Amino acid sequence: MSVLARSIGNAFRNKVRTAAVVAVLAVAIGLALAMLVANQAVAGKVAELNASVGTVLTVNPAGGQGFEGGGEPLTAEQAATAAAVPDVSTVVGTKALRLRNAAAAAVDAGAGGPGGQGGQGSQSATTVTTSLTAAVDAGTLGTRNQAAEGTTGATGTATAAPAFSVPVTATGIGAEVDTTGKALELTQGTGLGDYTVVSTGALLGTTLAEKNDLTVGSTFTVKDQSFTVAGLFDAGTAFGNNALYLTLPTAQTLAELPGELSTMIVTVNSLENVDAAKTALQAALGTDAADVSQGERNLETAVSSLGSVKNISFIAFVAALATAGLIILLIMVMLVRERRREIGVLKAIGAPNRTIGLQFVLEALVLVALGSVVGAAVASFASGGIASALISSNTATATVTTMAGQRGGPGIPGGMPGANPLGGASQLLTSVTASASPGVIAAGITAVFGVAVIGALVPALLTARIRPIEVLRGE
Amino acid sequence: MIEVKNLVRTFKSGDRTIKPVNDVSFMLEQGTLASIVGKSGSGKSTLLSLLGALDKPTSGDVLVNGVSLAGLPDGKLTEYRRRDIGFVFQQFNLIPNLSAVDNVMLPMEFAGIRKAARLERARELLEQVQLDPDKHGRRINRLSGGEQQRVAIARALANSPKLILADEPTGNLDEQTGEHIIELLSSLSRDHNTTILVVTHDRSLANKTDRRFRLQQGRLTEEAARSRAAAGAPA
Ligand SMILES: Nc1ncnc2c1ncn2[C@@H]1O[C@H](COP(=O)(O)OP(=O)(O)OP(=O)(O)O)[C@@H](O)[C@H]1O
Ligand SMILES: [Mg+2]
Repeated sequence: MSVLARSIGNAFRNKVRTAAVVAVLAVAIGLALAMLVANQAVAGKVAELNASVGTVLTVNPAGGQGFEGGGEPLTAEQAATAAAVPDVSTVVGTKALRLRNAAAAAVDAGAGGPGGQGGQGSQSATTVTTSLTAAVDAGTLGTRNQAAEGTTGATGTATAAPAFSVPVTATGIGAEVDTTGKALELTQGTGLGDYTVVSTGALLGTTLAEKNDLTVGSTFTVKDQSFTVAGLFDAGTAFGNNALYLTLPTAQTLAELPGELSTMIVTVNSLENVDAAKTALQAALGTDAADVSQGERNLETAVSSLGSVKNISFIAFVAALATAGLIILLIMVMLVRERRREIGVLKAIGAPNRTIGLQFVLEALVLVALGSVVGAAVASFASGGIASALISSNTATATVTTMAGQRGGPGIPGGMPGANPLGGASQLLTSVTASASPGVIAAGITAVFGVAVIGALVPALLTARIRPIEVLRGE
Repeated sequence: MIEVKNLVRTFKSGDRTIKPVNDVSFMLEQGTLASIVGKSGSGKSTLLSLLGALDKPTSGDVLVNGVSLAGLPDGKLTEYRRRDIGFVFQQFNLIPNLSAVDNVMLPMEFAGIRKAARLERARELLEQVQLDPDKHGRRINRLSGGEQQRVAIARALANSPKLILADEPTGNLDEQTGEHIIELLSSLSRDHNTTILVVTHDRSLANKTDRRFRLQQGRLTEEAARSRAAAGAPA
């Protein structure tokens, strides 16, 4: 008979009570574990999101946010300055062009000239003609936008306005990334190879290629020059796919503005350095020359909404954990009171206080171990449901905010054809799957045991105060 | 050797104070077999609890081989109870959900004796108090009063203490078993130089002890000393 054997024996002395205590503990522990699993799943997703988009800064010409901006364009020298800022790992310049179907442009010219159509609006976007037809129909929204912009001219006859066509965005890129700094996802063909030299290759969005019956190897014209489709990419959205990418010098040549940049995509080496790098970058470029903004504001909203789920689940985890500790504390206080006389006997025959205290702590741990086994089973069934319930109740808010961001589309800095904040956000929210990984469960159970030891320590210390003379007192 | 000096223990009950132990002094040489008789409520159990360091006196002191219990910290008192004292409680005070043999092994566990040695000694002691071997593994709450009493005696002997304090150790035993227990205790004092103090209502037990005390309203008096050899002779 050892202390441990005695503790186990004592834990089962009153079987009905033991079953009741284990059941209550299992609920608290199960809840704690489920919350921890949900918390870990969301935390993992947040980290993943931050890692993918959070380190990208976008530099626009000062005052250039929105298509009616002014100021001086960005230059290659500024790109070099940006690259020299501490913690900046890469700087990719882009040059945006607005491509209009040659036929439609001719009609527009007769009708009083094109206004800003929104969407890609940066003041540094130059409009050139193309043989391509946009993959997106203008629709009511596009026509209305067109009319609203166009009436500053003399036309004024909205009903007589010709069918408006949405332009195609061509972006010259200095590396194989989209305008948010993410690597392009090519579905067919290859990249453009060296993005720092003039090339006749182009990467087309899937829908744009489809609309114009183009595949890898086909040709089309921009500004009467012939280009070959080198690859197709899928940005995941209709808007993002109504675009094509050229090498940066090609776009600059087409715009007849060599060395000029629409935006710079700056990637910072780590998430912690983003804020510092943003400040340093702004200082290096000067507030009068460039605006530095953190890209993916919409994703940030989603991240912060996920963050609140993370906080809620963490608080619930701590609360459930504390409840388990409290249950242990109360049960053990009760047991110590009940076994006062027996503790007196042990002391009377020479048991040291620590042996008795240890015996009670071990007894508490036996109860917690049983509660954990049942609780872990409960958690593995419940955590998926709990996580999705937590997230779906938060998705609504995330959607509203991202919609608001979308509506401001024409003003979004630099256009960003690759980003569909709404699609991205809801996608990431539903892709949080809570699975009870053994590591997380083990960590949770370790925490439960830690709390149980603390909870059991108080009553165990109380046993030290019981005097051996209790042995002579009647029950 | 145990020396008791002006020992007093008072209890407050309501606005009355009672003194079950009132200025008790005596001395026992090592190896003495002594008895205390007295009416119910005269303070016998209270006195024994003071000698066994279960309780602290209101005043006075107990010296064990010259060492004052009053001056010892709690940790040392625990050690004293574990090593030097074997206590047989009037109410047995065994652990009800443990077996007879586990109860006897407990004091040895606290003294850090190896498990195999504990088990062997526990079985030996249970045989000495004449507990059926097939009852050694039985839980205490399935033993009779007399069987429990013998387990309690075996537990008191477990760590071979220098002083055994036994509160009515034969109270629940039949005459024959009682005789055997008396014989066991007197052989311990004779052959192992163990000091033994028994509280008893049993005249025949008292008559077999070296020294006989009587407790009356907290005051201790000694009856005329007689040699152990003479004890068996008719008075
Ligand atoms: N903790 C206590 N508080 C108050 N009074 C007490 C306490 N313990 C004992 N007493 C009283 O002290 C007196 C002596 O009690 P004690 O148990 O020593 O008697 P006893 O001689 O052993 O009697 P018995 O032969 O019946 O066992 C009794 O009157 C009892 O009520
Ligand atoms: Mg008594």
